[in-house]
Amino acid sequence: MKVLTFGWDFPPHTTGGLGMACQGITRELAQSGVEVIFVLPKSQAVDGHSRFIFADVEKMVRTREVPSAMVPYTGSQTMIDVYDEYGRHHLYSRTLLQEVHAYAHKAAEIAMEEEFDLIHAHDWTSYLAGVAAKIATGKPLILHVHATAFDQAAGENVDPQVYEIEKESFAVADKVVAVSQFTKDIVTQKYDVNPDKVTVVHNGIDTQEVKRHEPTLQELRAQGKKIVLYHGRITVQKGVDYFVQAAQKVVSYDPNVVFVISGKGDMTGQIMQQVGALGLSQHVLFAGALWYEERDQMYQSVDLVVMPSVSEPFGLVPLEAIQHGAPSLISKQSGVAEVITHVLKVDFWDVEEMANKILAALRYPVMHGQLVKEGQKESAQLSWKGVARKVLDLYRHLIEWVT
Amino acid sequence: MLTVCPYFHVHQPYRVKKYRVFDIGNDNEYFNDASETDLNNRKIIEKVAEKSYRPMNAVLQELLDTHPEFKFSLSFSGTVLDQFEAYAPDVLESFQKLVASGRVEILADTYHHSLAFFYSVPEFERQVAQHAKRIHELFGYTPKVFRNTELSYRNDLAKWCEDNGYIGIMAEGWDPVLGWRSPNYVYNPQGCSKIKVLLKNYKLSDDVAFRFGNQAWESFPLSAETYTDWIHAHHGDGQTINLFMDYETFGEHQWEDTGIFNFMRTLPHLLTEHPDTTFKTATETALSYDAVGEIDVPDVMTWADTDRDLTAWTGNDIQKDAIAAIYGIERDVMATEDPEIIETWRKLQTSDHFYYMCTKWSEDGDVHAYFSPYESPYDAYVAFMNALSDLQLRVQHAVAEKEKRRQEVASSESTLTFWERLRIWWHGLFKRFRSLFTFS
Repeated sequence: MKVLTFGWDFPPHTTGGLGMACQGITRELAQSGVEVIFVLPKSQAVDGHSRFIFADVEKMVRTREVPSAMVPYTGSQTMIDVYDEYGRHHLYSRTLLQEVHAYAHKAAEIAMEEEFDLIHAHDWTSYLAGVAAKIATGKPLILHVHATAFDQAAGENVDPQVYEIEKESFAVADKVVAVSQFTKDIVTQKYDVNPDKVTVVHNGIDTQEVKRHEPTLQELRAQGKKIVLYHGRITVQKGVDYFVQAAQKVVSYDPNVVFVISGKGDMTGQIMQQVGALGLSQHVLFAGALWYEERDQMYQSVDLVVMPSVSEPFGLVPLEAIQHGAPSLISKQSGVAEVITHVLKVDFWDVEEMANKILAALRYPVMHGQLVKEGQKESAQLSWKGVARKVLDLYRHLIEWVT
Repeated sequence: MLTVCPYFHVHQPYRVKKYRVFDIGNDNEYFNDASETDLNNRKIIEKVAEKSYRPMNAVLQELLDTHPEFKFSLSFSGTVLDQFEAYAPDVLESFQKLVASGRVEILADTYHHSLAFFYSVPEFERQVAQHAKRIHELFGYTPKVFRNTELSYRNDLAKWCEDNGYIGIMAEGWDPVLGWRSPNYVYNPQGCSKIKVLLKNYKLSDDVAFRFGNQAWESFPLSAETYTDWIHAHHGDGQTINLFMDYETFGEHQWEDTGIFNFMRTLPHLLTEHPDTTFKTATETALSYDAVGEIDVPDVMTWADTDRDLTAWTGNDIQKDAIAAIYGIERDVMATEDPEIIETWRKLQTSDHFYYMCTKWSEDGDVHAYFSPYESPYDAYVAFMNALSDLQLRVQHAVAEKEKRRQEVASSESTLTFWERLRIWWHGLFKRFRSLFTFS
């Protein structure tokens, strides 16, 4: 079986869960004998393709790059700085929307050249590429929904152009994969997609031996401080402002708690102001965006991780955190809440309860211990292998149904 | 001859509200949730009264009135009786009317539906005494057969019951304990000579309690005729069919639309159509038959889950922690001699609190989820531990106050002259015997 896959982001040059998901699924599909042709839009950001390797399945995955200048997680009108291969600024920058269309244009050409059985496109930036490939070749199309315009906007002011691309692409697609029931509900309710057409395939996580790092924030720990971490982009979708409100309630009860915010985003300035206005500067630390070793080091050094998302299609953070021994408090408005039970859960808007559960997690060591012990067992069950199995089932059904 | 011995257990706990860390030291009320959720104890009593207690008591009253041979046994936790009194007094009256027929027996129990026997026998004994007093007050009845919380049972519990004058005790008729033997006979507990153990026929009991409304069950829908045949099939192969189940089976676990009330309405008549079938209460069953053998249960056996042990209450770390915390403060709680503190402490001993913290997500997991008013076992633990933390503060405070008063009295006494002390002593004596002096 040969699958033409469109994505726009791939490790190690990734800014979030989408690239990780593409990597995990593709690797495991290749392991099960599926030949994946992974198409990525070429840009400076993903130029470093020498690091794009699957040591074990290298031969099965070919990459094909399209000239493009896309970066993820921005609105359709965001201007993108484009540099040529010598680092010179292009005279005319293009919007993300133009990039998406350019990508689709190239996608049709690639599709005509390649041989494959079906098309699989990840995230809205690749939907048009997938649709173009389908129109060019008539092959069945699967759209994989990792997020929707409603998540990015946290419910309000949905980008109309993104919405239009999503809605029209869903209508053309033969199957839609949603990363959670939470996301499926949005797809069926906000985009009028027939529920029968949408399959839920929850994301997974790589279960590997965790490398222990030197603990960080040693000084705070030596002072007996308890540390609570937020890790993720600082945007309206992620609910960081609720986290700060909860922090205030926690600190007024127990001044011995320190909150760390790791990440950056368009709300960073606003959050910093909020911290200042609430007089929390002594209790909230901004760590900048931590990745890889630094991030893992942070996970290993904190007492609790909070994922307060307003709208989270899946949410990898609690699964990453638990691998490093940190339990999580997550919002019920997240897809991952559907598949894990050994976490604390809260409505993102219920700041009072968020603070209560943060305090409880720090106060009751036996519960903390059980959340870690049982949570690790639970996350070990959520492998990409299982995800790929479901995707493969879907491929088979679709090919059977078409032929 | 074949006996049918039906026994229904009536219980509701005082669920702990969403008690937050911030409430510790500021709010002494743990059970007064007033939301629309299932943590609202009044709302639950009103709901279950409507769905189960009222309609089922009407059915039972009708059966007692029309079938003079119909008999059964009931057990009540003190916590449900208190809540009936407060929120649904008519339900309590209808139970009193059933018992007044003389054909409804009440069993002994712990007042607070606790697992105290396994953690503190003195506390267990106080709760059993409190329960007996309450049952006597409300029903004018003194129980002779004992059932422990969740039918939990062990050899030493049976021995305790025998030593305390009970003639029978109830237990699960669990195959690993019985071996080749049948639950449909009366046995002696290991180490006992007089007391009998009545074993639940879990197959026939659970056909009604758990499977009755299950459309995926091969015997669905179960007719009273078929069920009667299953019971009658035991003629010649047993003394008694012990059908033990939660009272709330009727109307709450099995909803009215399953036909459960009509099933019960017709069952006694069908059963006694066979001339050799009779109904007996638990006491009558224990007295009517000689024990055919001995039951040996060195480790706790319950009627719960597929494990039939205590793991539904004490299986994981948070459950063990919570239960250790509640029994760990017994000495201080009792030392306060404060009835309100002691009663609150006991309400927190109710086994349901620990059941809500269960994380066995095996085939029983959905059962636990169905019976829990909390969204997660961790929510249950947090609410419980926060409330307990507040109680601990109150206990510490009360003990400190008591100690302070004692010292004040001691220090003021030490400065008194001999004559003043004599006067105080004489005054105390006078007060104690005043009733004698003023008799005429």
